Amino acid sequence: MKLYDLKDMLIRLASGLVGGLRGRPPVPFSVLYKKFKGILERHNAILELIGDMGDKLGGDYVYDRQYILDSCERLGDQVFKLISDLNLLCQGKNVALFAAFERIQQRVRAELAGRRVLSRTDHILPLSELTHDLADEGGNKMASLGDIRNILGFPTPQGFVITAGAYFEVMERAGLRKTAAETVQALCDHDGEGLEEKARVLRQAVLTMPLPRELRRSIERAVEKLTELTAKPGDGEPLFAVRSSAWDEDSESSFAGMYETVLGVGAAGILDAYRQVLASLFCEEALRYRLHHGLCGEEPAMAVGVMPMVDALVSGGLYTYAPLREQEQAMVVSAAWGLGKPIVDGTAETDTYILLREPPHDIVSSDIAEKSTRLALDKGGGTRTVPVAEAERGAPCLTPAQLALLAKTAMTLEHFFKRPLDVEWALTPDGALTVLQARPLSIRPADSCARTEDAAVAAKGAKVLLSGRGITAMGGVSAGPVHLVTEGEDPAGFPYGAVLVARHSSPRFAKVMPKCRGIITDVGSATGHMATIARELRVPTLVQTGSATRTLREGQEITLDADHQVVYEGLVEALCQFELVREDVFEESWEYRTLKRVLKHISPLTLLDPKSEGFTPEACRTFHDIARYVHQRSVDKLTSLAETHKDIRESAPRQLITRLPLGLTVIDVEGGLSPAAAAGGADPGAEPGEADIACRPLRALMEGLNASGMWDTNPVAVDMGSFMSSVTRTLGAEASHPTRMGRNLAVISREYLNLHLRLGYHFTVVDAFIGGAMNDNAIAFRFMGGVTDLSRRSRRATLIAAILERSDFLVEVKGDMVTGRIKKHPTRIMLDKMFLIGALIGYTRQLDAKLDTDGDVALHQDIFLQQFTALRETRE
Amino acid sequence: MTPDAKENLASVPAQDPGGDAPRRRTSILVLDDEPIVCKRLKPFFQKAGYEVEAFNQPLEALARIETRRFDVVITDLKMEGLDGLSFLGKVKALHPDTDVILITGFATMETARQSFRKGVFDCVAKPFKLAELLDGVRRIEKERGLSS
Repeated sequence: MKLYDLKDMLIRLASGLVGGLRGRPPVPFSVLYKKFKGILERHNAILELIGDMGDKLGGDYVYDRQYILDSCERLGDQVFKLISDLNLLCQGKNVALFAAFERIQQRVRAELAGRRVLSRTDHILPLSELTHDLADEGGNKMASLGDIRNILGFPTPQGFVITAGAYFEVMERAGLRKTAAETVQALCDHDGEGLEEKARVLRQAVLTMPLPRELRRSIERAVEKLTELTAKPGDGEPLFAVRSSAWDEDSESSFAGMYETVLGVGAAGILDAYRQVLASLFCEEALRYRLHHGLCGEEPAMAVGVMPMVDALVSGGLYTYAPLREQEQAMVVSAAWGLGKPIVDGTAETDTYILLREPPHDIVSSDIAEKSTRLALDKGGGTRTVPVAEAERGAPCLTPAQLALLAKTAMTLEHFFKRPLDVEWALTPDGALTVLQARPLSIRPADSCARTEDAAVAAKGAKVLLSGRGITAMGGVSAGPVHLVTEGEDPAGFPYGAVLVARHSSPRFAKVMPKCRGIITDVGSATGHMATIARELRVPTLVQTGSATRTLREGQEITLDADHQVVYEGLVEALCQFELVREDVFEESWEYRTLKRVLKHISPLTLLDPKSEGFTPEACRTFHDIARYVHQRSVDKLTSLAETHKDIRESAPRQLITRLPLGLTVIDVEGGLSPAAAAGGADPGAEPGEADIACRPLRALMEGLNASGMWDTNPVAVDMGSFMSSVTRTLGAEASHPTRMGRNLAVISREYLNLHLRLGYHFTVVDAFIGGAMNDNAIAFRFMGGVTDLSRRSRRATLIAAILERSDFLVEVKGDMVTGRIKKHPTRIMLDKMFLIGALIGYTRQLDAKLDTDGDVALHQDIFLQQFTALRETRE
Repeated sequence: MTPDAKENLASVPAQDPGGDAPRRRTSILVLDDEPIVCKRLKPFFQKAGYEVEAFNQPLEALARIETRRFDVVITDLKMEGLDGLSFLGKVKALHPDTDVILITGFATMETARQSFRKGVFDCVAKPFKLAELLDGVRRIEKERGLSS
């Protein structure tokens, strides 16, 4: 649809609305329902497109610049139309939503045009908010530390970063931004002529430049806040580490170690240290590096991290991949008492431990040095070297348990960053491990070609367990023992370093993902919630393999090559090595980085809770947010229409003849009943029966409900008549026509069900859409009980919540009301969930008198799930 | 994801797990003036056990095929200097038994179809899945009786 058509339509709609107020007939429900379905379809198309773009980050596809441009164009178009659709459904204009769209669209275009868009304009960002998504603001090094802390959940120091945006402003105000860019460009043009002098002049200017007052104030405030957070009574003057975090620093082999880090800085010295770090951006070494790597055209930028000095009992470094000839599969730990600077500088005597890279990371050797001095924090400020107590000099700094923890942590980081790493760490006096920094370790063996060939040969000799089946949700290679996670099992005890193998993908796996080497599922989608988290955590993931749970055995050592959709038996070491030493890491290409930056404005979902006050068009920050908002509003709208629309209030309701006397009235919007039954609408004798239900969610629910009576072996006799007696009571003459509440009413189409069901004293609402595209599949289930005493009611709520949770619903309990939601699973699974809801409604109906103790909750949960599993198997 | 591509791949026998006497590896030349394509394809095929050379410059690739034969050539259709079809012609003239897979942009699919008449083995449209391309190479190996 062209823009002017749309405007025209909006105008006509607006006048139509006014006309409606004047008494013109409202839009028929069936028309609105079609519009609703249209929104679902477009919403789905948008999510697919976003998912497709996200998939490209996963590593399975080859694409180029044109793809990125085309996709952004198509997506923008679809989102615009989605907003227009919502306006049609709700018959109102949504100016704020269009404005949000316009804002996002502009950011996307700016990214494509090559201007980095800093999504946060703050000059200061706390480390707790930093991840690689904010790498442009926080610089690479601090963003990596943010990933370690905020995504992987390892302890790091607290701290904040003075952003790249602040750098630009400072330089701009001092009149140096242009000079800097020109100097860099001129050096390249003249092949580094006069580099030494030019670099010196530039550095001098930066070291003495004034800092804008607001920035000074912001930094001072941030330091104060940080001190409040971290200072303990009895500490001397707090000391800080001021670290460089430049653009491109610590990306592959880039600028490693060239920029300045100032340690042991008191609060008063931070601004000077800040200038010092900024000036190092123009140190000779870095400029020469720029020159030789063709980075002249890129404007340099420096973010700066400020963190309290960690009062370390023991510090050290760890190479996850030892640069030793005979120990190539090993990692090396060096450690000494006190602060880490002398270790990094190489001036201290250190203990050296060599550990195996593979879990459980056995210690190959420990070389304990005589450590006569250590660097300590001086209460008066700064650091000083002090003697080590006699007894500790020859003692190992680390226990085997500490080494194991260190090894696990470092390997998890390596798997995330997909590179061998140099990890700086510290143990605090309370024994806690803190990660100070992790940077890529450049290992480029001279014989890398030979290595490549080895990789191919080794992979060729390995036994293939699975091949050519499955969808790559996140690329990469990893190895480990198989751990099968069964349906409904709590994965909390998942063993570190194993490969998770499960029947269905589930967001429940999120919490154990940092421990996983890889994920393989029989069923799942590359655009689902789990896949998104796997990509966020960079866990190689293969979904939809069909048979992994049958082919792979618990504990079996495997190597997963998610790129090629192959699972090998045993550890194919050469393949894993290849992954670590390959030269061109896709994640560093222009295409990857640009797509990723564009996606920042597209795919994160920041609008989460529809009940919160922040769920507004103004709050939409990404296209995904807009899609989510429109989806929610349209579902709300349809739900309210199903209850209030004139067509439904006035239409002749049809009584559904059911095996259980539910007294259910149905309103068929479109295809919810068989054509024959639908056609018999005018005939009063031709009431539809269960066989006439074409509505898939209702059908599945009825099956579960009917089946529920068959498996109570306990004395509570279930006489079908009395089972539902209370139901019939609620359906007096006045109830034969649906009124607002308490009626048993189903609004149905072939895929849609909106059900209000009162059975005895239980009131259930089910809203489900199942059978269209997978991304549209959604069930919302609400259960409220009554009558019995409060503790029983809450037990019942606990029971239902537990069962729903074990069945992958997202559950919320408020008093004795339980709400469960589940979305975006394949239709077969969603129908199975409807079957479960039916069974659950029936089962809890029988439970009323039984929940005497809290222990009964667990018991009945098990009984239900056991019986349900048996029932489901017979059904299948 | 195209399920078809998957199915095809699944139907092709996977790597021979037995591993008889080591046979010659299938050789592949990749030519695409978008560096990103070469950067992706080279390690991918290497890891899958192929011998790979990749070129961004058509003329360099041309010089290379004059000195040696490759089993498979994967080339972009539209490039500065020399287009994929001309390159295809040269390859076929020098080494008639080299099979060529053409990478095409979305808009040039029609040209690609015409190229089949000139002896192209297969076409893939950007963006493509690495697995699709591997599938094409495996089909060539099957038809030519090459080991993979």
